[in-house]
Amino acid sequence: MMTPVQQVVMAVIQITVLISIILLIVPVMTFAERKVIGYIQVRLGATRQAGGIRGFAAGINKLSWAMGRIPILSFFRGLPVFAADGLKLLLKEDIVPDRADRFVFVIAPVVCMIPAFATFAVICFYPGTLFVFPDQFPIVGGLPFTGFLTDINVGLLYIMAVGSIGVYGIVLGGWASNSKYPLLGGLRSAAQIISYEIPLSLSLLAAVVLSGTLNFRELSVYLAGVPTVTAAGDVVQMPLIAAVPLFFGFFFYLTCGFAETNRVPFDLAEAETELVSGFHTEYTGMKFAWFMLAEYANMMAVSAIAAGFFLGGHYLLPFGLQRFVPDGIPFLAEPSLLFFFGKVFFLLFVFLWVRATLPRYRYDQLMSVGWKWLIPVTLINLLIAAAIRFAF
Amino acid sequence: MNALFTSIGHNLFLVFGLLACAGAAVMILSTSAVHSVLGFLFSMIMVAACFLCLSAEFLGMAQLLVYAGGIVVLFLFVVMLVELTKYKEKSLFTTQIKWSFPLVLIALGIFAYTMKSNLFDAATPVALSLSSGLAEGLSVSAQNAQMVSRGLFAGFLLPLEILSVILLVALVGALVLAKSERVS
Repeated sequence: MMTPVQQVVMAVIQITVLISIILLIVPVMTFAERKVIGYIQVRLGATRQAGGIRGFAAGINKLSWAMGRIPILSFFRGLPVFAADGLKLLLKEDIVPDRADRFVFVIAPVVCMIPAFATFAVICFYPGTLFVFPDQFPIVGGLPFTGFLTDINVGLLYIMAVGSIGVYGIVLGGWASNSKYPLLGGLRSAAQIISYEIPLSLSLLAAVVLSGTLNFRELSVYLAGVPTVTAAGDVVQMPLIAAVPLFFGFFFYLTCGFAETNRVPFDLAEAETELVSGFHTEYTGMKFAWFMLAEYANMMAVSAIAAGFFLGGHYLLPFGLQRFVPDGIPFLAEPSLLFFFGKVFFLLFVFLWVRATLPRYRYDQLMSVGWKWLIPVTLINLLIAAAIRFAF
Repeated sequence: MNALFTSIGHNLFLVFGLLACAGAAVMILSTSAVHSVLGFLFSMIMVAACFLCLSAEFLGMAQLLVYAGGIVVLFLFVVMLVELTKYKEKSLFTTQIKWSFPLVLIALGIFAYTMKSNLFDAATPVALSLSSGLAEGLSVSAQNAQMVSRGLFAGFLLPLEILSVILLVALVGALVLAKSERVS
């Protein structure tokens, strides 16, 4: 049994590690965004801040150009861009518009960011102990470092509740700027997020109906299709047919996730051609950076939830197909942190892929997709899941 | 150090309760309508935290989802678009002070008397204790959400469905009202 001090220290250590990982991935994501979209659109992306490439590497580059191919090294040029970006955001002048509501203007980015990070509190990256601290450590010696922060029995409800608070940051930021475009962007975004929360919850509910629990860890283990032991001592396994609602639910969830995070093709909140930059038009410096940070953290949260619920989480195969991996295989049959992060990074890549491919929806199209199509199909999906649960 | 953390853990309910009161005070006292809504939001979140301290996880999360996530957003929308503070409607809120003041005092007195006689009086008939049903409910709080859903969808299915019909009627009514305005 841990003493309260040990509990607090362990929690602080785990939270620090988790937030450091998120803050490390975000700048890499901004760099990857430039490069991946550049690659898809057959151009180089950011290249300027690299200086010249000399020596052997330059030789390879010249050779590739001579062969008529874009050299692979060119894709890593511009890597210092994200350091420059960070420095720029830190050093730029912090402007508050003259007639803005100062208090609300300042707290809006914070309100936006806290829920984005708080979501990670219940996400289970690995369903057990990652390592145990050696005894030499002063307070935490001998304590396990688990692959999840908390293991609460209302994990999914927590995710939805915290997610529904994130919208305040956008609305308040848009209103407090006291300017037309941010207000329009904020209102649009709020309507969009509130609308898409319904199909988002419905698609997640299919997974809940199948597994009968709200706990993220139990959910992801059950939905991976491996046999699990309940508290009563029974061995339960997801029926194979349940892969069907999971498969469709994944795509519905991802679509709603794009809308929830204000990403292309649903980025109506910051449609450049219509609204300058939407709700953060008036924001500069670090306040603007916090909005961006929240957006990328939200993307990661959506990816992690999709990976944990639909793509088999920390197991190899998605949609409950893990049962086809024989038990004896050493690495592939066991849960691993690598599988989880592999899926998260793949989904983050999908975000960029879609951004480079699809144009933006019109606002009425966005609303009709949400209300007239996504809600009915996610309801049908939920019904199928319930029928499977009832029959098997 | 241990003792400090333990005592804080035991008094978290008190801490969150006081913060909720602070949020409510901000709601009443601030002059800007949006700031009032923000105070209300803060108060709602702290009430959810109070529920969590009483190990009613489902209720806490439902509080966050329904109040903080749904209802206060609507309030915020209305308040933002109306912008009461700019105009002279301000006086509209101060006309009833001479009536409300004694009423609030009376309510406060009744509340204080009830609290005193129930909690701190020596002659209290029954000391504060949980009813048997509630105690049983708390002991199964490990499956909080499951127990609530079993109650809703097995024990009280019919009342729940009737309630949802009421909500549907309200929804259809709102739709009809909004539509007829546009036609005429």
